Amino acid sequence: MTTPLFPLRRLMATAALALALGTGSALAKDLTIGLIADAVHLDPQAGEELSSNIMFYHIYDPLVRRSADLTFEPGLAESWALVDDVTWHFKLRQGVRFHNGNTLTPRDVVFTLERLKASLMSTLGRNIESFREVDASTVEIKTFRPYAVLPNDLAGILILNEAHVKEVGEAQVDLQPVGTGPYRLAQWTKEDRLVLEAFDEYWAGAPTIKTVTFRPITNPATRTAALLTGEVDIVQDLSVRDVERVKREADYSVITRPSLLNLVLALDTRDRSPTIPLDVNPMKDRRVREAIARAIDVNAIQRAIMNGLSTPSEQYVPATHLGYLPGASFREMYPFDVARARELMAEAGHAGGFKMTLDATNNRYVNDQQIAQALAQMLAQIGITLDLNLMPRANFFGYIRVPSDNSSFIMSGWDVPSGDAGSMYAAMFHTRGIRDGYGQVNRGAYSNPEVDALIIEADSTPDAQQRHETLQKVTEILMKDIPMIPVHYEQDIYAAHKSVKFTPRTDKFLWAYEMDIDG
Amino acid sequence: MFAYTVKRLFQMLFVLWAVSVLVFLMMSFTGDPVYMVVRIDATDAEVENARRILGLDRSLPEQYWFFLTNLMQGEFGNSYVFRQPALDLIVERLPATLEIVLVAMAIAAIVAIPLGVFAGANPGHPVSRFIMSGSLLGISLPGFWVGMMLIYVLAVELRLFPSSGRGETLEFLGIRTSLLTANGWHHILLPAITLSFGTTAIILRITRAGMMEVMRQDYIRFARAKGASRRGVLYGHGLRNGMIPVVTIFGLQLGDLIAFATITETIFAWPGMGKLLIDSIYRADRPVIVVYLMLVALIFVVVNFVVDLLYTMIDPRITVK
Repeated sequence: MTTPLFPLRRLMATAALALALGTGSALAKDLTIGLIADAVHLDPQAGEELSSNIMFYHIYDPLVRRSADLTFEPGLAESWALVDDVTWHFKLRQGVRFHNGNTLTPRDVVFTLERLKASLMSTLGRNIESFREVDASTVEIKTFRPYAVLPNDLAGILILNEAHVKEVGEAQVDLQPVGTGPYRLAQWTKEDRLVLEAFDEYWAGAPTIKTVTFRPITNPATRTAALLTGEVDIVQDLSVRDVERVKREADYSVITRPSLLNLVLALDTRDRSPTIPLDVNPMKDRRVREAIARAIDVNAIQRAIMNGLSTPSEQYVPATHLGYLPGASFREMYPFDVARARELMAEAGHAGGFKMTLDATNNRYVNDQQIAQALAQMLAQIGITLDLNLMPRANFFGYIRVPSDNSSFIMSGWDVPSGDAGSMYAAMFHTRGIRDGYGQVNRGAYSNPEVDALIIEADSTPDAQQRHETLQKVTEILMKDIPMIPVHYEQDIYAAHKSVKFTPRTDKFLWAYEMDIDG
Repeated sequence: MFAYTVKRLFQMLFVLWAVSVLVFLMMSFTGDPVYMVVRIDATDAEVENARRILGLDRSLPEQYWFFLTNLMQGEFGNSYVFRQPALDLIVERLPATLEIVLVAMAIAAIVAIPLGVFAGANPGHPVSRFIMSGSLLGISLPGFWVGMMLIYVLAVELRLFPSSGRGETLEFLGIRTSLLTANGWHHILLPAITLSFGTTAIILRITRAGMMEVMRQDYIRFARAKGASRRGVLYGHGLRNGMIPVVTIFGLQLGDLIAFATITETIFAWPGMGKLLIDSIYRADRPVIVVYLMLVALIFVVVNFVVDLLYTMIDPRITVK
């Protein structure tokens, strides 16, 4: 931006540039990253949210590593093999060192899994039945049933050092983390800065960037300001209204990519629905569900509410995932078409429409409140009067929880970082209440024996390709049945100084090990 | 005096108890913290397990009873989210908040009192009119807007100040403070000025009102008549007698700023405790909210107690009972 009002600025910028050139950054590469929030935990089994996850993957390693574009590759385990349908052997990399100098052993893996089972994050290991040390370099993991995507699950389990945890005590793991990761903790002043320094003995090679500083800057405008003043080199979640402003600056670039978070609308399929004052739930009729899908103009939401920064979803999971069906798209099967939607309502005997309530958050997803309001207007076109029940996320997730006795129509987000539709389908579309660990998030009470059988079939093959094909069949049925309408993927927006080499990851985990700085 | 102190102490205990009950009742409407902790697809068994780990499997009265009995033993409870003692989380962030508030109050006092005395002593003067319109602006402009403008002009455009964060800190008597380093002062000025804006305006106006009231009194005229210097009359007689309301407001503002510096802290990414409160409300992290509000109540009570004592020093005719 040219600013005749402040001619001093150019002078200052030149001076700052001269200073930067003078000190020379070739000696030690430092990077400062502006995050939206401080990490809550450094103990990967104490909880998770994005900022903590970002730290976890700098400090610790999983057995299986998830790459930036969601493929799975060897991490601390250099290879793995199936012994029988439910038994896996993971061969550990030799000579891997923890930050405290200890060498990684199978015992550490066993300790990690034992501790995980008793922790708040036990969900991460829910498919693991048992585990043991086989020999000095091998760990055996058994699953409850054949489970082809165990390695993907293991990408979420970070390995702790048993000796360290016992030495510092359970509670201190959060403040004095020790892992095998490329960086170790140098300083953490809560809410101010978290500094990581390179661990030069890292098994995959010493990191290029020697010091990484994370600064939590919650206010979006301040984050942009910190970027433009050079206080930080990259910012997460650049505010939509700052995108144009940053693009105008020659030294900075704006980087976007679709996130994994799919905004979805769950439709109640029970005989009677809590918020619909009718004896029979109209949404039991597939035609009504199709009418609702056709009445929602996803492109208008993208244009008018999301400023173009969203990607309309084709299916329930993105193309990178097991279970994605190439060529199938909700947007082509049920394009926005109010006339056809009205016809379908009439065919189903609901030409006069009906009334129901949409439960949605007002502080969890990007523009969630505006989207809910837009949905009310769109559905009014086909006679559905939508009352909005908006609430903060602290109330929301307890309110909508299965058995969802208050809800008919729910807007929420879902992401599957494990790269597999199976876990989502099992949780959301399997008939609820008949099998432990299945259907626990099936808020619309969708029930289709064929889908149930296919989900179980997918969960009983140890072969990933076969799982993929089985899940594709589920995708096909679900897209016809419409138990849920996918709306869009939010866009991740980053801004960085041009000297930073950075490619955003699908899972949003900014990882300094993959970055570099020019000069 | 002793009896008065004891009486205030009992009042304080009652206030703290009332705050804890209120927060417990309020928090029972703000959602179930367990869903903030478990993953969205957690099974019932996993949710129950988390509930047990957090101590949320008991009924609310039971939880309150545990809270009270622990409190008697000096235990304030652990945060659901951080899994660390709630008091530690707050105390860790307290110095950053205190230093920004103290600097802001110092700025307010240094700027507001002389200007207020001037405006009160010379009500018709054009400079006084200018000062008073300025103070109106100070009251009306919202803090977040002032903060953003300061960042935009002084940090982004002129590059005179850093936009955010706390600078270098040094440990002094076991407290980390940024007031001992040049870099620390460089960082603290913008947020402190932002925070001082409203307070400056209020204190200025109160000082002026007090001065105008006092300047009409006979003793001021007599003091001038006997030949005391104008400055001596203004500050020695005038200000001292107009000071009671100023000290009262000063005390209230101090408590206010410590408790609710939140907005300024958020805008400047200042690592104080206000942001912790907001985050904890979002996460339904009751232990932190209870301890935070009790601490704030304590600060208010103590500050007002000190203000009462100050009255007796400013005006010996006042006694505390």
